[in-house]
Amino acid sequence: MANDMQRTDVEWSRREATHFLWRTGFGASADEIQQVTTDGLDKAIDRLLSPQTESAAFGKADAVLRQAAFDSGNIADLKAWWLHRMTASANPLVEKLTLLWHNHFATSNAKVDSVPLMAAQNDLLRRESLGSFRRVLYDIAKDVAMLVWLDSNSNRKRHPNENFAREVMELFSLGVGNYSEHDIQEAARAFTGWHVRNGEFWFNAIQHDTGEKAVFSKRGHFDGGEVIELCLEHPACPRFLAFKLLRQFVEPSPSREHIDALAARIRQHNFEWRSILRELFSSRLFFSEQARQSIIKSPVELLLGAVRQLKAKPNLQSLARLSAELGQDLFEPPTVKGWDGGRLWISSTTLIQRANFATALLKSNQLGSVSFATLRVEDDVNYFVQLLLARDVGAEAVAELRQFMKNQTGDPETRLRSLTQFVMQMPEYQLT
Amino acid sequence: MTTRRDFLKQFGAASLVSLGAKPASFLARAAAATVAKPDERILVLVQLAGGNDGLNTVVPFGRAEYYKARPGVGIGKDTVLKLNDELGLHPAMAGFKQLFDEGWLSVIQGVGYPNPDRSHFRAMDIWQSAKPEKDDVSSGWLGRALDSTVEQHVGKVPGLAFGTDKLPLSLVASKINVPTVRDVKGYQLQLGPGSESALKAHKQALERIAGRDASAGSDLDFLRRTARTAWSSAEKLKQISASYKPATEYPGNALGQKLRTVAEIISGDMGTRMFFVNLDGFDTHSQQSNAHQALLTELSSAITAFVGDLKGHGLADRVLVATFSEFGRRVAENGSLGTDHGAASQMFVVSPKCKGGVIGAHPSLTDLDDGDLKFHTDFRSVYATLLDRWLSIQSEPVLGGAFRPVEFV
Repeated sequence: MANDMQRTDVEWSRREATHFLWRTGFGASADEIQQVTTDGLDKAIDRLLSPQTESAAFGKADAVLRQAAFDSGNIADLKAWWLHRMTASANPLVEKLTLLWHNHFATSNAKVDSVPLMAAQNDLLRRESLGSFRRVLYDIAKDVAMLVWLDSNSNRKRHPNENFAREVMELFSLGVGNYSEHDIQEAARAFTGWHVRNGEFWFNAIQHDTGEKAVFSKRGHFDGGEVIELCLEHPACPRFLAFKLLRQFVEPSPSREHIDALAARIRQHNFEWRSILRELFSSRLFFSEQARQSIIKSPVELLLGAVRQLKAKPNLQSLARLSAELGQDLFEPPTVKGWDGGRLWISSTTLIQRANFATALLKSNQLGSVSFATLRVEDDVNYFVQLLLARDVGAEAVAELRQFMKNQTGDPETRLRSLTQFVMQMPEYQLT
Repeated sequence: MTTRRDFLKQFGAASLVSLGAKPASFLARAAAATVAKPDERILVLVQLAGGNDGLNTVVPFGRAEYYKARPGVGIGKDTVLKLNDELGLHPAMAGFKQLFDEGWLSVIQGVGYPNPDRSHFRAMDIWQSAKPEKDDVSSGWLGRALDSTVEQHVGKVPGLAFGTDKLPLSLVASKINVPTVRDVKGYQLQLGPGSESALKAHKQALERIAGRDASAGSDLDFLRRTARTAWSSAEKLKQISASYKPATEYPGNALGQKLRTVAEIISGDMGTRMFFVNLDGFDTHSQQSNAHQALLTELSSAITAFVGDLKGHGLADRVLVATFSEFGRRVAENGSLGTDHGAASQMFVVSPKCKGGVIGAHPSLTDLDDGDLKFHTDFRSVYATLLDRWLSIQSEPVLGGAFRPVEFV
């Protein structure tokens, strides 16, 4: 329904602020929630969509971590660099979108095997995160990591390799069912000769097929750029992007109506994200009841969410490893399709590991440190349920938590740690 | 003798099979029923992810068209392990050749389905949902088989995905939550330092919290059910002897290590009837020879060791291993000494109880469907045979229709 994209008239409260912060970033501390509750929606969106100056401390840490990754050539160090950005950047939406597009244009270092190339692709996705999907689609087709990942050098005039052409349609712009095998074969010809030489994009004219091609029933002597334009013009393209956006920001299984409503706005705004997201994040749909607590946290959202909620000082390398064990290995997605997400994040193994994460964070210092020393709250149970779960858990669970707290022994900090650990092990904690 | 009360005590609170409606009356009925038959048969499904090049796995060396289509990556006639006058296994598959000679290996040729999809993901969903006509990925074929026999599985772990990161669609059920175990070591709930009684109280409180009902089918319901399955199956796995002694030596590769643990779990008898294990890396678009050889070595050596181990423990007769891949590859090689996504291919079945041999004709190498082999055996016929004849689970409701059986078991 078209009016799902209309501006929300929801009454602004702490609950709305928490929802907003979780969806547009990586979780929030009590202070941040308080700030956005006071500011209201307009101010929060303005801040979200306009570039915020990073602190000097952030800039320094960012530079050091990035240099460390380039010096070592070890992708583990680049993972730590990115996790730091996600945790501490003053522009959390930019990082969240970069992660969304990393999953969309899923490229793995397992094949690319280069810190500088993976970093360059990451920079490209970040640069256009609030920019234009048109530009990102053009640029990714010439991105060296992508060209290596999808075997572009073997895409030659006499022997086209369909790998890139297939993924451009299936995974990057249209989705299965919106093109034919013939479209792919023809599109592959248009990308012949898009090669890599000396670590840079190189148009190898000798290997480029200049002949006539037929893509989506249109004929012409298309090159790769023209095929990309044909994909962008295709009616399936904004719908495919709308689906991805809704799944990330609103609901796990977007309805046809919601997809169509957002797709119309994407076309209207000509793939310019800033305008599209401004509408989405202030829409009725975004704040609808069905959207609340409907998304299963990805490993990165789970881990960084906890770190940010509790203002923990994390061990970034350990978090990157744990995220990989939980199924989200940054810079190394399992396939070109990226991470499916949703319920597929959850298996009995990962749910045990997610529970064990709470233990490791609160009861040891393997993952970093959390301080409760200055925390003074009147009602521990209520405070942590609100902060960590941001939902009503029912009288039965509250009674269970109060009893649990009563049974704890030791100093107040130890008891608070146990309570926090317990709440983070409740199945509800997996949702946002 | 196990009394009804013991049964409920043992399995009621932390049942591995979470039941839908009216759990209490269901448990009462199940408690009255007999305990598991020890001779229950087990299916181990091995997924060859990425699209295995079937033509270089079971090589039609007797056909000139094969070598014509594959001047660069074709497997030489002199090196194949001959199964008959026209077919031979890739030279890396010595173990499979031995199993074939013993009559433990069936090669089912030309398996596929109408209008094959060449996208990895859609094709994989088709094989795992067994619903090629519909874009319905809400359940898998083994999951539906478990659902249809749910009353047999109370208190057990009827299905297990081993060594995978997420639950494969094949095992997605609606009445049963199938655990996914990456490795046994990491599959323990850690609650931290503390007295035994405090940790026990902590765990029990969590079980009560997760034991509450949520609206059926919701994510919260799914999370609570998965949590209950996880915590109780972890408890069971812990009890399985850590001192398992394999009867054969397993290769050091990942598939070998996964199957070793599967053998361990089978010997521990958790009532698991379906295992799913994955071997990834078959998407061989370029320079495929070495990579494909390594994969087939892993496949053949691991499965050969596994059935040898089971034989040594007197368990081989209960177990059947079947392999599948989302598609084969195009008949003609591409320009980068690799092969692109194709269609029909073969499936392997390994068990002392299978009929052995090559089943069905090799698809024509000249009469092709857009450059790909044509199928003659619907994969659901193979599934139907596995369900009806091996697992004794009626296939028709699971597959949504009757499929002609394939004579391999």
